[in-house]
Amino acid sequence: MSMEEVLPVLVVLAKCVFAVAFVMQIVPLLIWAERKGSAYIQDRPGPNRAHILGIRAGGHVHSLTDVVKLIMKEDIVPGHVNWFYWFIAPVVAMTIALSTFVVVPFGDYLTIMGHKIDLRVSEIDGGLLYVLAMTSLGVYGIMLAGWASNNKFSLLGGLRSSAQMVSYELAMGLSAAVIFLMAGSVSLRDIVDAQIVGWAPNGTFLNWNVFSVPGAIAFVLFWTAAFAETNRTPFDLPEGEAELVAGYHTEYSSLRFALFFMAEYANMIVAAAVTTTLFFGGFSTGLPFVDGAFLREHADLVLAVIGLGAVPPLLAFSAIAWKRRNRDFYKALSADDIRHREPRFFAALWGGLAVVHLGLGVAGLAGIPTSVLGVELGGDLVALAVHMTAFSLKVLFGCWFFIWVRWTIVRFRYDQLMNLGWKRMLPLALANLFLAALWIIVKETMLA
Amino acid sequence: MALPVPSRKMTTIESAYLLEVVKGLVLTISHVIKNIFDPDHFRTIEYPDMKKPMAVRYRGAHRLLTRPDGKVKCVACMCCPTVCPAKCITIIAGEDPDDPAEKFPVEFDIDMLRCIYCGFCVEACPKDAIRMDTRIYEINAYTRQDMVHNKSYMVNLMEGKKPEAEDVYRANPSTAPAGYTFDEKPIP
Amino acid sequence: MPKVKINDTEIEVPNGTNMIEAARLAGIEIPHYCYHPHLSVAGNCRMCLVDIVGGRGPDIACNMQARDGLAIRTDTPAVKKMRASVQEFLLVNHPLDCPICDQSGECRLQDYYMEHGQYESRLNDAKVSKEKRQDIGELIVLDAERCVQCSRCVRFSDEVTGTGELRLMNRGNHTEIGLFPGERLGHHYQGNLADICPVGALTNKEFRFRRRVWYLRETASVCDGCATGCNIDVCHQEGEVFRYNPRRNDAVNKSWMCDPGRLSYQSVMSLKRLLRAHVDKKEVGVDAAVAEVVRRIRNASSVGVVLGTRATNEANWALLTLVRANLPGARIFWVEGNDSTGLPADKILIDGDKNPNSAGVRLLAAHDGKVGDKTALKDAIPELKLLLVLQDDVVHRLGGMSLPPVIYFGTYLNDTSERAAVTLPVAHTVEQDGSYTNRQGRVQRIRRAVNPAGDALPAYQVLEKVGAALGRAPGTAMPAAAFNTMARAVARLKGMDFKSLGEGGLPLAALPPESSNVQAAV
Repeated sequence: MSMEEVLPVLVVLAKCVFAVAFVMQIVPLLIWAERKGSAYIQDRPGPNRAHILGIRAGGHVHSLTDVVKLIMKEDIVPGHVNWFYWFIAPVVAMTIALSTFVVVPFGDYLTIMGHKIDLRVSEIDGGLLYVLAMTSLGVYGIMLAGWASNNKFSLLGGLRSSAQMVSYELAMGLSAAVIFLMAGSVSLRDIVDAQIVGWAPNGTFLNWNVFSVPGAIAFVLFWTAAFAETNRTPFDLPEGEAELVAGYHTEYSSLRFALFFMAEYANMIVAAAVTTTLFFGGFSTGLPFVDGAFLREHADLVLAVIGLGAVPPLLAFSAIAWKRRNRDFYKALSADDIRHREPRFFAALWGGLAVVHLGLGVAGLAGIPTSVLGVELGGDLVALAVHMTAFSLKVLFGCWFFIWVRWTIVRFRYDQLMNLGWKRMLPLALANLFLAALWIIVKETMLA
Repeated sequence: MALPVPSRKMTTIESAYLLEVVKGLVLTISHVIKNIFDPDHFRTIEYPDMKKPMAVRYRGAHRLLTRPDGKVKCVACMCCPTVCPAKCITIIAGEDPDDPAEKFPVEFDIDMLRCIYCGFCVEACPKDAIRMDTRIYEINAYTRQDMVHNKSYMVNLMEGKKPEAEDVYRANPSTAPAGYTFDEKPIP
Repeated sequence: MPKVKINDTEIEVPNGTNMIEAARLAGIEIPHYCYHPHLSVAGNCRMCLVDIVGGRGPDIACNMQARDGLAIRTDTPAVKKMRASVQEFLLVNHPLDCPICDQSGECRLQDYYMEHGQYESRLNDAKVSKEKRQDIGELIVLDAERCVQCSRCVRFSDEVTGTGELRLMNRGNHTEIGLFPGERLGHHYQGNLADICPVGALTNKEFRFRRRVWYLRETASVCDGCATGCNIDVCHQEGEVFRYNPRRNDAVNKSWMCDPGRLSYQSVMSLKRLLRAHVDKKEVGVDAAVAEVVRRIRNASSVGVVLGTRATNEANWALLTLVRANLPGARIFWVEGNDSTGLPADKILIDGDKNPNSAGVRLLAAHDGKVGDKTALKDAIPELKLLLVLQDDVVHRLGGMSLPPVIYFGTYLNDTSERAAVTLPVAHTVEQDGSYTNRQGRVQRIRRAVNPAGDALPAYQVLEKVGAALGRAPGTAMPAAAFNTMARAVARLKGMDFKSLGEGGLPLAALPPESSNVQAAV
């Protein structure tokens, strides 16, 4: 087989690995953010005790110990479960959560050896339909778990989840319909491209869907429905611990529970990624004139700006904040405590990062990347990095928003949930669809 | 019985909920921002490493005092088990034929799981035989049985050291509890 | 019947009553140390000083006979000051070793200090110290320091036991209680010395340091040590009996009781208690044993029944009615004698008959008219195929005769329980309600102080089960019902009911003139 035949396969494999890795990397980060965020909202320091060789890493070690704990725990299989469905339920939940991500574009394209590679895992054109289909499949994991657990609390959790899904699916779909009316396509790539151009200069955030009247309404509805679909507070009735013990995952322990746990966060990430793609311009930078072409053209300059202007101040700020936070802590430790290593470790790490970025910046200034890698590849890589960063930041902010809302709002009552879904959001979404149609007609007649 | 809770009728904007959600979000994020920029905003004491300064008369684990001849001061008068509101003190009295004090506790157990640290036993003691000035509050064990402090444990609790509280009282006698004696005199 | 006035209360009292008693009748307490209702008046503590209205000055109430028109006041400032002063005086040389003193909690010095003292100490000199912890008798420890020289113990040994071992010795500050050198208390009423001592000078060696008195609950009952039936308070805590204290009953034991009776509380927790039902030495449940009893009774061609002199009236009544209702052919006996040797009878309290209820059994035997005695039982033994025994150690009393199979309802392990084919555990005196009839023919209540040990039940309840299984229950599940039924049936119990027995008991009615000779024997 020649390189020509192998390369597409390799590329698809690489993209698959990337998609899974992207989601799975963010999960522990989110667990950390959930803990640290809730702590800061509640005026406490949050996790900061566990350490490896004295390195506490701001509480990240706790996520690691959690993984170890969940792996080491006894895997209990209750005697009364319907074992086949019980076994596959967490797998279904996790698989579907991960596979939704395949249609989300995280960059425009990359040219390797003359092949232009589209930066999304699957290049299907019905991307948005696929997303809607997959998210509604997501409820199967929960429903199967609830039903197969053969336990009334779990069953109630599963039933609530499916009822909730049915109720909010409609509003979600109708809101998404607004977007593909406006973009004229259901391909997510096309939707993103449509948000880069517009009445403002290319790449400006004002071109994003969320900054149009029907788009804004659709965003609020879609985002609310996303909360319901991911079973996050205030819509986490399927696992309402006050009523249902732990809801659908009551009977699960060890890694099976971990799968549900991760699936919830993966769902959050996917929901944030889809919302970003539909309403916030996907990987678009949001800066005027900074689109893919611009990035490729001025690759060295962009690199210099990032390396010298953006990253070092951030590093400096976080170092100062860390130092102030731990001022009293190190004084209280005994002299031979192993945790005295940590400041030195962080100094080295932060210093190293700063040096690397400064080096990149200087290299960019000197025009080295394009001269070494070639104009085409160098430009592509810089564009990829910038797009990915923009995309990741938007997704992370979306995820943070999930966490933020969770620690702000209390859980709805079940009747409130149903009223909101059927009596408020569905009519609003329908009206908004008409509004969007009107909007497009008016816009086109005016442009014509 | 259901109690009627007086409630205010919500305005339209409030019942639309969206603005209220935003208000809530602003409140919570303001806490996050304060906590990032101002390390003094929360004053959590990182317990095993940092410890809270103790009140002068903090009541910690009980210790039993001894006379110069090494015997416990306690004469098993049963005042402390009588006054104890948690009924956590068990004393079995015995007669010591060689001792002028006649009576002594054969067993003196305090169930620390039951104890509520009220200090009544110290107040009630006519012989100043029991004190809670050790400032030991990390009282723990692997079994319930080990949570019962017995006579020898309570006698040797300070391992011959003077409790920290005694220095505080000596330096500032007005802080000492009434009847606190520094010299451990023998029973006349 | 002189009429006296105490404070603002006018009251008529019997002739010869002193003013402490008169005040008590009027509901006013006059504090006192040396006065005791059953001892002569000494008048040396001065605590009972009262003002005589219109009199020259204060006088002691204990030595003041009630006479018509006498008016005293116990609440004037002068009286209060006198009490405080006397209290202070008595405490001058008192060691204040309450933490180690067994009297704490029932000490007059403590009580009266809180009620009438409450002064600041003015003592500068060293206290006079005397010998502590003197072993003066089998049951008594003397602490001379704590003594307030009230001389109650001296008068007790002079007047009640007549042994006169104790004396007040030395003078002034150095006065102390003591015995002649080398002597020890020699009588069997030593425990009373600790009781009458108002302070901690004389304490009970046996009870010493075992439990603080304020933990103890008291239940009014009757001692089951002999036929005298001394009234007692059972002092117990959380199901454990710690001591018996004599309870005042002027008709029976005044305020006294003997040492063996006092120590008989040990039998409650004794290792010789019968705790489980046995069939042929194998432990079974009570119901199984009852079924076995019924089976054996049905299979036996002739049954003999022995009433229990150690059992309550109610239990004997239950057995009697049970037999008469269900077993027409059965013969009933009662056996005199003691289960174990005890002290011989004396003129004070101790009786030679060591059973608490011999008189009650005699009464029921007379009522039934067909109850045989010991000789009759001895004669009948060869014909009997089964013998039911209630509590008494009949085997011991008959001197080890060979008996038919025995069904024993008993409290203790003894010769009879050893021989018995079926044993059923019966509650101890302090574990049940009921009544005993003492040697004077006085019916007195016993009351449940603690729960029965093991599987034991009051005998009348066990017999109720047996009766129910045989067909006709005697109706004695509740002691009050049993007693009231019995009182209606038995002539000499006429007019009594369980409630009216009260704390002090009631004497049997006098013999009706047409009564038979058998009843005259009671």
